[in-house]
Amino acid sequence: MATEFHNLQELRHSASLANKVFIQRDYTEGTICRFQTKFPSELESRIERSLFEDTVKTLNNYYAEAEKIGGQSYLEGCLACTTAYLIFLCMETRYEKVLKKISRYIQEQNEKIYAPRGLLITDPIDRGMRVIEISIYEDRGSSGSSSGSSSTTSSSGR
Amino acid sequence: MPAGLSMGGTLGAPSSPSHPFRPSRYVPVTAATAFLVGSTTLFLCFTCPWLSGVYSSMVPLYNALVFLFTLSNFCMATFMDPGIFPRAEEDEDKEDDFRAPLYKTVDVRGIQVRMKWCSTCRFYRPPRCSHCSVCDNCVEDFDHHCPWVNNCIGRRNYRHFFLFLLSLTVHIMGVFGFGLVYILHHKHQLYTPQSVVTIAVMCVAGLFLVPVAGLTGFHMVLVVRGRTTNEQVTGKFKGGVNPFTRGCSKNVSHVLCSSQAPRYLGRLQKSLSLQIQPPFLRPTPQDETDKGHDNGIQQVLYSKSSLELMESQSTDAEPPPPPPPDLRYPGLAHTHTEESSLLHEAPPTPSLNKYRLARSSPARNHTAIAHSYKMTRGDGCVSDPSLSGRVGGGGGAGPGGLGGASTLGGRSYPSFTDTLLQSAGASRSSSLRSAYTAHNALGPLLSEGTTTSTSYKSLANQTRNGSLSYDSLLTPSESPEFESAAPELSPPKPHPPPGPLSPTPLSKEPPPILGYSSPFLSAQQREGSLQARPTARLSSSSHRALYRATSPPPVQAPPHSPRARSLGSPPPGSALLSVLGQSVSYTGGAAAQRHRPTAGGGTQVAK
Repeated sequence: MATEFHNLQELRHSASLANKVFIQRDYTEGTICRFQTKFPSELESRIERSLFEDTVKTLNNYYAEAEKIGGQSYLEGCLACTTAYLIFLCMETRYEKVLKKISRYIQEQNEKIYAPRGLLITDPIDRGMRVIEISIYEDRGSSGSSSGSSSTTSSSGR
Repeated sequence: MPAGLSMGGTLGAPSSPSHPFRPSRYVPVTAATAFLVGSTTLFLCFTCPWLSGVYSSMVPLYNALVFLFTLSNFCMATFMDPGIFPRAEEDEDKEDDFRAPLYKTVDVRGIQVRMKWCSTCRFYRPPRCSHCSVCDNCVEDFDHHCPWVNNCIGRRNYRHFFLFLLSLTVHIMGVFGFGLVYILHHKHQLYTPQSVVTIAVMCVAGLFLVPVAGLTGFHMVLVVRGRTTNEQVTGKFKGGVNPFTRGCSKNVSHVLCSSQAPRYLGRLQKSLSLQIQPPFLRPTPQDETDKGHDNGIQQVLYSKSSLELMESQSTDAEPPPPPPPDLRYPGLAHTHTEESSLLHEAPPTPSLNKYRLARSSPARNHTAIAHSYKMTRGDGCVSDPSLSGRVGGGGGAGPGGLGGASTLGGRSYPSFTDTLLQSAGASRSSSLRSAYTAHNALGPLLSEGTTTSTSYKSLANQTRNGSLSYDSLLTPSESPEFESAAPELSPPKPHPPPGPLSPTPLSKEPPPILGYSSPFLSAQQREGSLQARPTARLSSSSHRALYRATSPPPVQAPPHSPRARSLGSPPPGSALLSVLGQSVSYTGGAAAQRHRPTAGGGTQVAK
């Protein structure tokens, strides 16, 4: 096992999870879903501040759009009432639609920006929308202490 | 079950542990269903034919529609996930353990709202969230646990519950009214089956009309005021301002017109495979600000990958310059030394003093690294018999002790805090927490920018300063007090110890397992030292108030010692017994403070 691993190391560098940073919710405007845009110090050496802030601001905008109370959500509610909520069997709620957009956005951000920097954003919905979890990976290429993996699943089933 | 609905708590294994099957839970909901469905069916079958014949067929149609509306909202309120938060994963709360404050304060529209730590779910409950003891879940925007639907009413199903109440009131009034019309027209035929049934249905309707209408009126007021039942009943905003209200019309539209909130449990997890492969891009150097006080944090990132590097460097590194003074926590240097003394065979761990390691002497550095690294690898395994006996116990604690310790061990990526905790050793959770907090206080801002969930601790710091926060605990724990606390130990170190020197003297001393507790211990033994630190007094008194701790820690120590002992393994070494025992007892007390509320669990309505 050790020699096997040693060979792997010779073949390629591996990355292993070193730390996780949690971006907390910003409750200054009530219970609407917003995340703090404060740049965590753990990421200072890993990613540019502007990129991080853009990501969080975009996510905040998405959530604001999902929770917006307007004509569409009202009509959706009325339709659901009149059909005794059976409409939910066939139709996705507005929130779910936006969550799908968010999930795509996060995946795109991970692929383009975060994974090349050894970071990984976990969709907040997987954490009950309480935190944005950013996993920080370290280059374990030179060490043989713990197993490293070069590929990782961003959200593995629990 | 329609899509989008889920039985509260049944989807998503991690959310609720197995409950014993309690049939009594299902009695009210069964009765409610029976009354609703049964009475309406009887009404439609016995009373409505005559009504439709005499008046109009709209009468039974209207009643049937209202009944369907009521039933659908009843089903949604019963079967819909109210907004259960999944349990936090272990790595999220690694810093929110015993020594972390019980409450975190956030600012909601200018009003301070406390977020309480939920020891079951392992996170700080968001505002308006509460833990339901019946369902054993934290529910978002918790309203109450309704026995009639056998479900919590929370963010997702409050609208359905409210509409159910409204429609049920209307339905009851309709049934009662039309039944009365029937009876008034059949005054002389009261012994026919239809009349008897109608009278029975009217009795049931009349019986439920008053409580249901009362409850409906109550909830209408709540909706208009933007409050939950929980907040109303516990009097959270009595005489105060409700920060969650948006005004009458916006409150109503929020309840009735907002989009259905998503559920957090039972979501399909898409597993995407992403290649995370070094080399990693790094931001340009000007983006990295070398803040002296953040070095502790930055070091975290390098602690693992550069451990070997440091090891190699240590052999030829020059004695590093002393660390810059810690402006916020002047006692931190001492705290560190206290922590380092915990490793009675090695200087502070890299995590604890990751900042210091780079600056401490090579030899110490090397052993510290090796020791901590060994500890880190231990991952709960004991590598060092005496100290790591507790380290392993603390670090790798399973669900035991006060529950929080379990989160410390077995991490896949031991962070600096883990390393610290593991190396701190001592009695399980409490001492670990204290060591951790001591360590945290160090990076000043370690407390600021720690890798923890206290978001960037801008929130936590308020509470921490006002409550039994580790920094308030730490300020007393400065070296002179610490030194005097253990008279049998080596002579006291110089006051603000320069970095390179700090580990040395302490390394000779047997470690007081609980760095933060020692100040109180030393306060007991040497009150004079506390005079020199007025801040310690102030901070300890402030957090005393929040934690309801008895004023002088030493007084508190004895009653808590049995509990503390039960928490951790017995301290090693008779020489340290008195020191450790008392410190353990104090932390046990503090830890118990945190855990006492959780023992009761959440109540249905309160909190």
